[in-house]
Amino acid sequence: MAAAGAWAGKVVAAAVGTVVKPIFSRDLNEARRRVRELYRAWYREVPNTVHLFQLDITVKQGRDKVREMFMKNAHVTDPRVIDLLVIKGKIELQETIHVWKQRTHVLRYFHETETPQPTDFLSKFYAGNDP
Amino acid sequence: MTRDAATCPAVRQQARCLESSTTETHPTIRPKDEVQQKQLCAFGEYVAEILPRYIQQVQVTCFNELEILIHPDGIIPVLTFLRDHTNAQFKSLADLTAVDVPTRQNRFEIVYNLLSLRFNSRIRVKTYADELTPLDSAVSVHQAANWYEREVWDMFGVFFANHPDLRRILTDYGFEGHPFRKDFPLSGFVEVRYDDEVKRVVAEPLELAQEFRKFDLNSPWETFPAYREAPEPLTIEAGDKKGDVK
Amino acid sequence: MAEAARPGKPCELELPQWSTMLRLPAVRRALAGVTQSSRGCVRGTAATAAASNQIEVFVDGQPVFVDPGTTVLQACEKVGIQIPRFCYHDRLSIAGNCRMCLVEIEKAPKPVAACAMPVMKGWNILTNSERSRKAREGVMEFLLANHPLDCPICDQGGECDLQDQSMMFGSDRSRFMEGKRAVEDKNIGPLVKTIMTRCIQCTRCIRFANEIAGVDDLGTTGRGNDMQVGTYIEKMFMSELSGNVIDICPVGALTSKPYAFTARPWETRKIESIDVLDAVGCNIVVSTRTGEVMRILPRLHEDINEEWISDKTRFAYDGLKRQRLIQPMVKNEEGLFVYSSWEDALTRVAGVLQSFQGKDVAAVAGGLVDAEALVALKDLMSRVNSDTLCTEEVFPTAGAGTDLRSNYLLNNKIVGVEEADILLLIGTNPRFEAPLFNARIRKSWLQNDLKVAVVGSAVDLTYTYDHLGDSPQILQDIASGKHEFAKVLNQAKKPMVVVGSAALQRSDGAAIHAVVSTIAHNARTKSRVGTDWKVMNILHRVASQVAALDLGFKPGVDAIRKNPPKVLYLLGADEGCITRQDLPKDCFIIYQGHHGDIGAPMADVILPGAAYTEKYATYVNTEGRAQQTKVAVTPPGIAREDWRIIRAVSELAGMTLPYDNLDQIRNRLEEVSPNLVRYDDVEAANYFSQANELSKLVNQQLLADPLVPPQLTIKDFYMTDPISRASQTMAKCVKAVVEVAVIDRWRADACGVSGADPRAVSGALV
Repeated sequence: MAAAGAWAGKVVAAAVGTVVKPIFSRDLNEARRRVRELYRAWYREVPNTVHLFQLDITVKQGRDKVREMFMKNAHVTDPRVIDLLVIKGKIELQETIHVWKQRTHVLRYFHETETPQPTDFLSKFYAGNDP
Repeated sequence: MTRDAATCPAVRQQARCLESSTTETHPTIRPKDEVQQKQLCAFGEYVAEILPRYIQQVQVTCFNELEILIHPDGIIPVLTFLRDHTNAQFKSLADLTAVDVPTRQNRFEIVYNLLSLRFNSRIRVKTYADELTPLDSAVSVHQAANWYEREVWDMFGVFFANHPDLRRILTDYGFEGHPFRKDFPLSGFVEVRYDDEVKRVVAEPLELAQEFRKFDLNSPWETFPAYREAPEPLTIEAGDKKGDVK
Repeated sequence: MAEAARPGKPCELELPQWSTMLRLPAVRRALAGVTQSSRGCVRGTAATAAASNQIEVFVDGQPVFVDPGTTVLQACEKVGIQIPRFCYHDRLSIAGNCRMCLVEIEKAPKPVAACAMPVMKGWNILTNSERSRKAREGVMEFLLANHPLDCPICDQGGECDLQDQSMMFGSDRSRFMEGKRAVEDKNIGPLVKTIMTRCIQCTRCIRFANEIAGVDDLGTTGRGNDMQVGTYIEKMFMSELSGNVIDICPVGALTSKPYAFTARPWETRKIESIDVLDAVGCNIVVSTRTGEVMRILPRLHEDINEEWISDKTRFAYDGLKRQRLIQPMVKNEEGLFVYSSWEDALTRVAGVLQSFQGKDVAAVAGGLVDAEALVALKDLMSRVNSDTLCTEEVFPTAGAGTDLRSNYLLNNKIVGVEEADILLLIGTNPRFEAPLFNARIRKSWLQNDLKVAVVGSAVDLTYTYDHLGDSPQILQDIASGKHEFAKVLNQAKKPMVVVGSAALQRSDGAAIHAVVSTIAHNARTKSRVGTDWKVMNILHRVASQVAALDLGFKPGVDAIRKNPPKVLYLLGADEGCITRQDLPKDCFIIYQGHHGDIGAPMADVILPGAAYTEKYATYVNTEGRAQQTKVAVTPPGIAREDWRIIRAVSELAGMTLPYDNLDQIRNRLEEVSPNLVRYDDVEAANYFSQANELSKLVNQQLLADPLVPPQLTIKDFYMTDPISRASQTMAKCVKAVVEVAVIDRWRADACGVSGADPRAVSGALV
C-alpha cells in the first residue's frame, strides 16, 4: 500500500504544473454555460415538479429555492469543480424528472422541520448543556 | 509518463514474507510457492514489456497475487490488452473498487480485479485519481464495470468519463457526500426520522443522543514501548532504483 | 514457585518487610539512599551528583553515567529502556522476588535481578540478549504455571501487567500439564475484592500497606508453593488508602469490588480531572462509559498525591448517581416540592431577587462549589447590593483574618513536609482530613527522620508522635516559651506548624489562630530558618474554601444569623449551618446544588446543578493551587452547570452578568483573583510577620475545651459531604468498620485490655 502511494505520488509530482485533465469544460466560460443550461432546465422543471409531487408551494417558491441552491455555490471558480457540481445537479434533476425521488426528498430542500440552533445564552441554557 | 516508457519497469517482490520464511523455523500457515511466484513474475514482466507506456510498476504480493500499477490514461488499453491478448484472456472483471488514502496527492486508488477463466489466473490492475480527475470508464471493455463504477462514483466521488449511466446506486436520493471517503464522518451529517406532523420522513442535522463508541486499547499502567514491535518500514527498492537510474 | 525460579540469590539488598523495622536507622539510610537515587535518575528532579563520583555503565552498549548504588533497572530506565518487572515499584522498597527483571550482564555467570542489583563500574547490561529473553520467558512460564487462565472474566483484563508482559516476553505455548494451585479468597473489606488464585506473590500490596499506608494488616503465610498473601486471620484491610493496592497489583488478584464486572478498560473514556472531596485536590482520571462514571483512578502529580488517592476519592463515585437533583423543583402551597421547568423556577427566583435588595438578600456557599459559581454568585449579589456572602466553613476573621492569603493556606505546600524536620499538628487528624497529606508526613517520617508532635486528641496516625496534650492552653505555653516543646521548635532547622481548620472553627478560633501564628512566628525568628521557609500552615477540609476566601467570601454564617435575610441563596450548602429556625418565617430560600442532601429540603426553589465530574470548574486546594476539573459525563436530567444557572437567573432578573461562556467567566475570575486561573501554579503567600502583628490585636480568650478534630476514627472518614453521604459504597465501609469495632471491643474485653487507649486495640476504633 505504502509502496503504491509513493508510486502514485511521484508520478503526480512530475505532472504538477502541467495542464490538468478537464472533466468537460476547458475554461470558466464553458463551465458557466453548463451552469446556465442546468439552471434553465431546473427553472423549466419546477412547475412540473410542483404538480407531480403535489407540493404545497408555489412555483415562485420553488424557483427561489432553485436559485438559492445555485447561489450557494456562486463562489466556486474552478471549472472542474463547477463541472462536478453540474454533474451532481443533473443527477438530481434526472431523479426529480423521473419521479425517482419521493415527496420527502424534494421537501428536504426546504428544511421546514428543523429547529434552528439557539444563539443567545438563555435559549442555549434552556435547550441543553453544550458549552 | 514518457519517463517510465523508456525503461522496462523492474519487478518487485514484496520482500517481507520471503525473508521471514527463510529464517522462520515454525511452520507458517501459508507456505511459499516458488513456482507460482516465478510464473507470476514472468508474466508480469511480459506484460510490462509489451505495454511500457502505461505500466509503471509490477509487483507480486506475499500471497502470490500479481499487481500491475498503471497510469490512469492506460485503463482502456491495458484492460483491453489483458482481455484480448492470447496469453492473457482476462475476460472477466471480478471486481472494481477504490481505496481512499487521504494523505496521498492522488488520494484514490482504483483497483480492477480481473479473472482469466482460460488460464485459471487472476490479476489486479491499480491506478489512481484525485477528487477532480475524471477516469476513463471501463464499461466499453467490460460491461460488468457499469455498476461498479456507479458504486465508486457514489461512495468515493471519482468521476468516470464516458460512462453510459453514471448516477447513484446505493445512497438515498438527495444524499450529499461520498460515504467511503475517509473524511466522511462515521455518523454521517444527517439523521432521518418519521415526522408525525408533516406525515413524512424528514432528514435533519445529526444530533448524537448516544455516546459514540470508541476503543482505547492502551493500558493505563506500565507498558513496554521498547519491546513493542515497531511496524516494519516498507521500502520500495525497485521503484526507487528505477527513478534513480533515470 | 517463586523459589523454583530463583536458582540462587546474588548479593541483593535484603529489605525488611515489617513496618516496625522500617524505621531502624541503618535500614532507613539504605532505603533512603536507594529511593533518593531513583528520584535522581528516573525523574531528574534531584540535582545530579558531581560527575566525579558517578560511574559509567553500558546499557546494550550505550554508555550512561549513574550514581553509585543505582540499580541495574534504574540505570536502564535512565536511557529509556524499561525492564519488565512485577514486584518492583518505584515508590516501594525492593523485594526482588518475582525474578521477571532478570537481565544478562556481560561476562557475568548468570542473569541478575535488575531491580535489586546495584550497578558496578563498566558493566555492560544486555537487556535484549538471547539469554535475557530466555530468562524472561522461563520466569514467565513459571509465573503462568500457577496463574489461572481466567482472563476473559478477570477485571484486570486489558490493563494487566501479567497479560501484557506475557504477550511481549512469554512463550506462545505451555508445557505445563499438571494441576494448578488454588488459593482461598480472603475477605478484606467492602472495597478490595480478592481472587487470590491469581496472585503471583509480588508482595507489592504488602509493601504498600506497610510502607505507604502504615498499617501492617497484610503479610505472607507459608513458603514456596504454599505461599499466600493475606491477613492471617480474617480481618478488614482498614486503611484510608486501601484502594491503591488495586492499582499496584500487577495481576487481577486485588480488584475493585464496586467496579467488578462493570466495564473493560479499553471501552471506557478517561478524563483527567481533580478530586474535590477533600481540600488536597488529588489528581484523578475519571473513567466513563455510556455517560456514566465507571470508576476513578489516580493520576500522577508529584507535588500533591504522587500516584495514590484515598478511598473516598476512589470509591465515592457511586454517590454521583444517587440522590441527585435532576430537575428544578418549586414548593407549592401545601409545602410539597413539585417538578417544574427551568423557565418557571428561574422566573420565580428572578422575581424574588428583583423585589428585595441589600441586606434582605444573603448567600451561603457550600464545600463543593467551584470558583466559577462562586464568582458568579458574588457578582449576582453585588447586583442586588448585598454583601452578605458567606461560606459554610468558619474561619476566624479577627486580626488579619482572611485579608492575608498566608493566613489561610498550607504555605509550606504538601511537598514541604518532605523537607521539614519538626512538625506540629494542632487540632487536626490529617489521616482522615487529608489522607494524602498524611501519607507525605509518613513518607517524611520514614525517610527523613521527621519528628511529629500533636496538640489535640490522641488519634491513630500512621506514624509515632509526641502527644503534647489536648488543651489549647498548651499552645499558649509553647507560644510563650514555657513549654519544653518550644525549645525543640526553636532548634529545628525547618519546623512546620499545621493547624486543622476545625480547630479554628471553635468559638475561640481567632485566639487559636493568633497563638498559632505566634508559635510559627517565634519558630521562624528563633530557629533562623531561611526567609523562604514558611512555618504557619492551615489544613482545610473542603475543596471550595480557599477559592471562596480568595474571592472575598465571608467565612461563617454569623452575619446571616445576626441579620436574618428575606431571601437566602444556598449554593451547595449542605452542612446545615443555617436552618429554617434561624430565619424569619417568610424567608425565601433558593437551593442550588447537585444532591438532595441537607440543604435542599428547606428550600422554596431547588435548582439542580452539576457535580465535579460534570463541569469545567476551578478548585483551589489547601496549598492555594488552582486546578480544574473537566467534563466527564453530562449532568443528569436537565441539571446545568452552576455558574450558568446563576447567569440565567441574572438575565431573567434584569441584571445580566457579563459572561456567556467559560472563557468569559474565567476572564472574570482572573480580574477578581488572577491566581485562580493560573492552573497548577502555587502562588506563594507572604506577610507572615504582618499577619502576626495583626493577630496580636485579637482580643479573645482561649477556652479550656480540648482540641478535638472532627474525624477521630476511620468511621468518620467515609461520609463527609453530599456525594459521599449518598454513596452506598461508603455506607458499606462505615458498616464494615463499625462491625469490626464491635468485634474488637469484644475481643479487648475478653483479653482484659482496657479500651482507654485506642491504639491498644487493632484498627483503632473507639
